[in-house]
Amino acid sequence: MKQFRKILAYELKNYFTNKVFVGITIFLVIAIAVVMFIPRIVEYFNSEEKAETTESTASVMLIKSDSQEQADIVTQYFAAAFPEYEVKSTTDDLDTIKHSITNQDVECAFVMTGPTEFTYYVNNLTMYDMNCEIATDVLRDVYRVNAMLENGMTLEETTEVMSININAEVESLGKDQIENFFYTYIMIFALYMVILLYGQMVTTNVATEKSSRAMELLITSAKPVAMMFGKVLSSCIAGFIQLLLVFGSAVLFFNLNKSQWGDNMIINSLFNIPMELLIYMLVFFVLGFLIYAFLFGAIGSTATKLEDINTSTMPLTFMFIFAFIVVVTAMSSGSVDNTLMVVCSYVPFTSPMAMFTRIAMSTVPWYEIAASIAILIGSTIGVGVLSAKIYRAGVLMYGTTPKLSAILKAVWKA
Amino acid sequence: MILELKNIEKNFGDKQVLKGVSFTAESGKAFGLLGRNGAGKTTSIRIMMDVFPATNGQVLIDGKPIDYSKVQFGYLPEERGLYPKKKIIEQLTYFAQLKGKSKKEAVEAVDYWLDRLGMSEYRNKKLETLSKGNQQKIQLITALAHDPHIVILDEPFSGLDPVNALLLKDIVKETISKGKIVLFSSHQMSYIEEFCDSIAIINGGRVVLTGDLQEIKRNYPRNRLVVRSPQIQQIKNESGYTCETGENGELIITLSSADEKAVTMQKLTSKYDIDEIKVYEPSLNDIFVEYTESQI
Repeated sequence: MKQFRKILAYELKNYFTNKVFVGITIFLVIAIAVVMFIPRIVEYFNSEEKAETTESTASVMLIKSDSQEQADIVTQYFAAAFPEYEVKSTTDDLDTIKHSITNQDVECAFVMTGPTEFTYYVNNLTMYDMNCEIATDVLRDVYRVNAMLENGMTLEETTEVMSININAEVESLGKDQIENFFYTYIMIFALYMVILLYGQMVTTNVATEKSSRAMELLITSAKPVAMMFGKVLSSCIAGFIQLLLVFGSAVLFFNLNKSQWGDNMIINSLFNIPMELLIYMLVFFVLGFLIYAFLFGAIGSTATKLEDINTSTMPLTFMFIFAFIVVVTAMSSGSVDNTLMVVCSYVPFTSPMAMFTRIAMSTVPWYEIAASIAILIGSTIGVGVLSAKIYRAGVLMYGTTPKLSAILKAVWKA
Repeated sequence: MILELKNIEKNFGDKQVLKGVSFTAESGKAFGLLGRNGAGKTTSIRIMMDVFPATNGQVLIDGKPIDYSKVQFGYLPEERGLYPKKKIIEQLTYFAQLKGKSKKEAVEAVDYWLDRLGMSEYRNKKLETLSKGNQQKIQLITALAHDPHIVILDEPFSGLDPVNALLLKDIVKETISKGKIVLFSSHQMSYIEEFCDSIAIINGGRVVLTGDLQEIKRNYPRNRLVVRSPQIQQIKNESGYTCETGENGELIITLSSADEKAVTMQKLTSKYDIDEIKVYEPSLNDIFVEYTESQI
């Protein structure tokens, strides 16, 4: 036990004196600070700009119609519907219009080919261009109003019909996925990054000790189990402290700038994570981290050269990426309770992410959570014991990287 | 303190690496563990130090099964290696602490040994900045700093210049005189002959010869004489003995019985100009080759 504590302290010290580790942490904290201060910075520059520029030139939108009457009506309505554009009616021919669009004198043009038909011309159609949809709605309204007027309704009546309000209220009895999406995503991503990064570090650490032959001495100085657990737990603690610093500074900087962020829904939802979810996050983080780190450590012990570790960790990395993709796909499709996710939330290697996502974005009965955590704890202990055995057998194997069967054989015989 | 390996067997999978290794080493004496490459020396050492268990057999201290929480080992592995990017003082104290020293004791011990080996100036340097021989000296400290009961030195002299070898010799002698068990494993027979009172030769996973080195040598038939003389050719031609020439130009005379030694010596010294004449004792090198040549 004393030995284990000594190893843990030594390995932790290695992390905290490692320039890369410290550098990345500081960089992340600064990056978060910058992001959190953005509204304040933007506001500062905006107030300066406002004083200088009185008017900005809006982009031009052209309306062309064969009938002057339609052109007038459409221009009038579009001017109301597209406040960010300067809407002008034109009588130029099509080629001139196209030319002025490609010259970027004009941003876009609607060429009416009938009361309910038009062609929309734009230079580059962006992903977020909604002009066509808005125009369709406006024209549909115009058509309806005209039809109603023609059928003998007064203007007041048509206005009333067109401006009818539907009162709708949404009350989610379970979880609100829109609100939860962002912080779940961030937490899953943090889990993903930390496990992959630190898992690789554990592998590299073990493989370095082996390739520098420090292992020859270590193995006679300390118990392999103490060495393995010391390494894995120290990286777990280091990773956790790093996460805590990053998220802690995020919370701190957010609170400093709370008023500037105002009612930005995404940001506000990020900092309103329920306590319960944070506890689940902690549980799944620790267990998920440990189960992977043990395996990464075991893999490191079987590598003979540092160059080998990338190939040897690949299956494990792929398994983890698979879990990540399943979870993220389910999240963006909205169906976090699909069969694959339910299965994944019980399989130990995918459950840290899958079950956490389900808890965060859906309603999962307590016994399912308990079963998932129990399976995960059991497997983590099992994998820990197995990894320590692989480690013990692996660290003294030199030469070519042993085959899986050879390792298992050695573990069995040991 | 007496360290005894009793009938140690070790299987790796289907391969039996050790087929019954037994020997005894005593405190205050140095013990030489010899064997060709792959004979099973390192495996025996690892079993002795509890890196992995033996398939069969026992490691005993004073006749009782060894208690690893009480008996401390110091080990200089043949494959040298420490943390190249760590400061020397840091890693040395770390290793001493792993062996049960407190931080303060560890620093004191490490500083003593750094001074003793003339390495104090490198205290706060990274290991990789040192020359190979100096790294070797640093490695030696990991075997000694925690004041172990049993010191195992695997090829301790390889890579050392004559001055450092002399320094190491002094330290080894001092360690032996402190009453520790010192176990040598080496291919440099001259060093083993110089230090070790007892040896064990392992070949093919078995101890093929073990015991007191002087006794082993004495047990060889004493019917041969080594003669150094400027008149070797004459002796060879005239005396009528069975003669052969040794490696360094000496004459080796084989007598039909050991009883004829005295008479023959007198005869030769009176008749010829003899520089040196003595009973032939095999060198450790000869013994080693004799016992390990055949099989592996």
